[in-house]
Amino acid sequence: MKNRLPRPRIAFFDMAGCEGCQLAILDCEDIFLDLVDLVEIVQFREAMSETAPRYDIAFVEGSIHREIDADRLRDIRARSHRLVALGGCACHGNVQARANDWAPAENLQRVHGADTAHRVQTDGRYWPLWAHTRVRALHEVVEVDYLLRGCPVDRDEFLHLVKRLLAGSRPTFPAQPVCVECRRHGNECVFLQGETCLGQVTRGGCGAVCIGGGYRCDGCRGLLPDANLASHRQLLRERGLDAEAIDQRYRLFLSGEITDREGTDEQ
Amino acid sequence: MGSYLVERSVFIDWISRLARHEKVYFPLPVSKSSFRFSRVRSRSRLALEDFDDPRQAKPFRASACIPPPVRLLAPDNELLFTFRRDSAGDCHPTPVLDHNRRILAGVRPCDLKAIALMDRFQGDGIADPYYLARRGNTLLIGHDCLQPCDEYCFCEAAGSLSWRQGADIFLTPQPQARLLVEPLTDQGAALLADAGFPACSDVQACRARAAARRPTPFARQFKAPLARVMHAVAESWQSPVWERHAGRCFSCGTCNLVCPTCSCFDVRDDFNVEDPDSGRRTRHRDACMLEDFAEVAGGYNFRKSPAARQRHRVMRKFVYLPQRFGGTGFCVGCGRCGRQCTVAIDIFTIATDLLAGAGEAA
Repeated sequence: MKNRLPRPRIAFFDMAGCEGCQLAILDCEDIFLDLVDLVEIVQFREAMSETAPRYDIAFVEGSIHREIDADRLRDIRARSHRLVALGGCACHGNVQARANDWAPAENLQRVHGADTAHRVQTDGRYWPLWAHTRVRALHEVVEVDYLLRGCPVDRDEFLHLVKRLLAGSRPTFPAQPVCVECRRHGNECVFLQGETCLGQVTRGGCGAVCIGGGYRCDGCRGLLPDANLASHRQLLRERGLDAEAIDQRYRLFLSGEITDREGTDEQ
Repeated sequence: MGSYLVERSVFIDWISRLARHEKVYFPLPVSKSSFRFSRVRSRSRLALEDFDDPRQAKPFRASACIPPPVRLLAPDNELLFTFRRDSAGDCHPTPVLDHNRRILAGVRPCDLKAIALMDRFQGDGIADPYYLARRGNTLLIGHDCLQPCDEYCFCEAAGSLSWRQGADIFLTPQPQARLLVEPLTDQGAALLADAGFPACSDVQACRARAAARRPTPFARQFKAPLARVMHAVAESWQSPVWERHAGRCFSCGTCNLVCPTCSCFDVRDDFNVEDPDSGRRTRHRDACMLEDFAEVAGGYNFRKSPAARQRHRVMRKFVYLPQRFGGTGFCVGCGRCGRQCTVAIDIFTIATDLLAGAGEAA
C-alpha cells in the first residue's frame, strides 16, 4: 500500500486507570496475529516486557493525577509521532474526575481519614499523597492526536483507527449521540420502557452495546460537543429524577466535562 | 384474480409453512411494546388482529415496528462492494448485490406507501442498484388497519390509510376469525395458487365490512386537507414555529432513522487486516437532524441550528420530494418519529402549527 508507514512501531502506556482498555485490545484475538504482522509492538506492559526509545503511535491509557505522571506523559509525547488517548480515563478523566468536585484535602480526609489530612502537611512520608491533586485528561497536559473513547474502548474503533493510520488516511469518529446507534440497531428507546438514559447527550461509536445488552447509557464516552443538557435535565426531571439523582447520573462518567459546562443548573 | 376467505389460523399455518423454504419476515415482538420485522422460524408466534374484538390490542403496530420494513431493502452497514488493489496500485471493485428472494408479510398501508415512494425515489435519476436488486426480489403481503396504531398515528390525514399499491397480496380481517386474502399481482396469485384456500364470493362486501369497522375520523386529522397543509409548510420558511419545536431537540437523529421515507447514508471504506490490499465499502444510515450532517469541507456547516435542520426534515417530507415526485406527501403518517422522540417533537404537531400560522397570516 502506497502511503503506508513501514510497519509502524506501536507502544502502549498506562496512567491512572484499570488497564481494561488494554485488555479490550488484547481481546481482538481473532485478528490480533494479523494485526501484529502489520505493526511492530515495541512496548506493552500488559503483554510484554520489552521497551523502545521512539514510537510511531503511542496509545496512552488512564488519567493524569500527579505531576510526575504529567512529566512521563510529556516524555512519551516527545518520543511519539502520534499520540492516542486510549479510553475514557485518558479522554476525559472518566470516573476518577469525580474527585475534582472536592478540594484535595477533603478527598484525602474522605479516603484516608482525618488524621491523614493533617499529617499530609507535616509528615514527609505522606507528601506523595499531597501530590495527588487534580485529575486531568491527557489533552490537558499534551497535544493528543486521536481519542479512542469508552469504558472500555470499542475494539472496532481501535481497529478502524489503526487501519486508517496504516493506510495513511484520517480516522473519523463522528460526534453523534448513542441514539443513532440504537436506532441503527433497531433498539427500542429505553425511555419507552420507563427507564432513563444519557444516550442523547453522550458520544456514540460504541454500537449502543449497553442498551443492546438490556441496560441504559451512563455516558462513559463523554459529552457531545453540542449536547442539549438543559433539555436533558428537564427530561430526567419529568421522568421523576430529582436534582441530586440527576447530578449523580452525570457525575459518574462526565465529571471531567460537565463542570466546565452548565453543570448544576437552576433549581 | 380470485380472492380467498380463509380462517385466520389456517392462513397463519400457511405462512409458517411458507417460511420453511422461503425467507419470510413478519413483525414479531421484541419487547412488551415493540416489534421488528424478523425472519419467521418454526417456533415464531404470528398474531393477526381480530375483527370482532376491537378492544383487543393491535398485534403489530406500524409505529412500534422499529425499524420500518423498508430497512430490509436498505439495511444499515450494508456491504456495497469489495475491492482489491493490484500490483500497479489500481483498485478493482466487485459489487455485492443481494438478489435473495424474500417475503415481507404484515406490512401496514403506511409502510406499503413508504415502500412505493422509495421505489420511485430509488429508481429516479441515478438509480440505486442495491435497493432495486432487493426490491425486485421482494414480495409484499400487506395488512389492512381497522383501528389506529396509537395516539401518534395520522395515516388517514397523510393519505396512507387506503394504500395498497406495491402489495402482492393484501389481507383484510373479517368476522369470525377469518381473513380476506386478495392477490394483487401475478406473483401474489402464484404464491397463493397452491394454498388451497376457499374462494371469496363477494370481495366488495368483505372490503366494505372492514371499512365500516374503522372509526371515523381515523386517528389524528389536520384541520385542512393535506394539500393545504403541504402548501402551508412550503410557505413557512420564515416561520417562528421552527424555533419553537427545536428548543428541546437533542439532534439525535431518531426521527430520521425510524422514518420509512428517510434514506440518506454515508459510506465507509475499510481494508482487511488479514490482506491489506483488499477491502470493502459499506454504507450507513445518516440523518439530517445530526449536528454534523451538513458540515462540508473546511468545516462550514450550512444547517448549524437545530431549527434549520428541523425545517429541512419537514420540508423534505411535505415539499421537496412531493414537488419532485408529483404531489403525494412523503410523510406517510406512521407516527414513528413522534412516538420515538423522547421530548415529544411530533411532525404532526409541527405541520398543524404551521397550518395555524398560515391561517393567521392570511
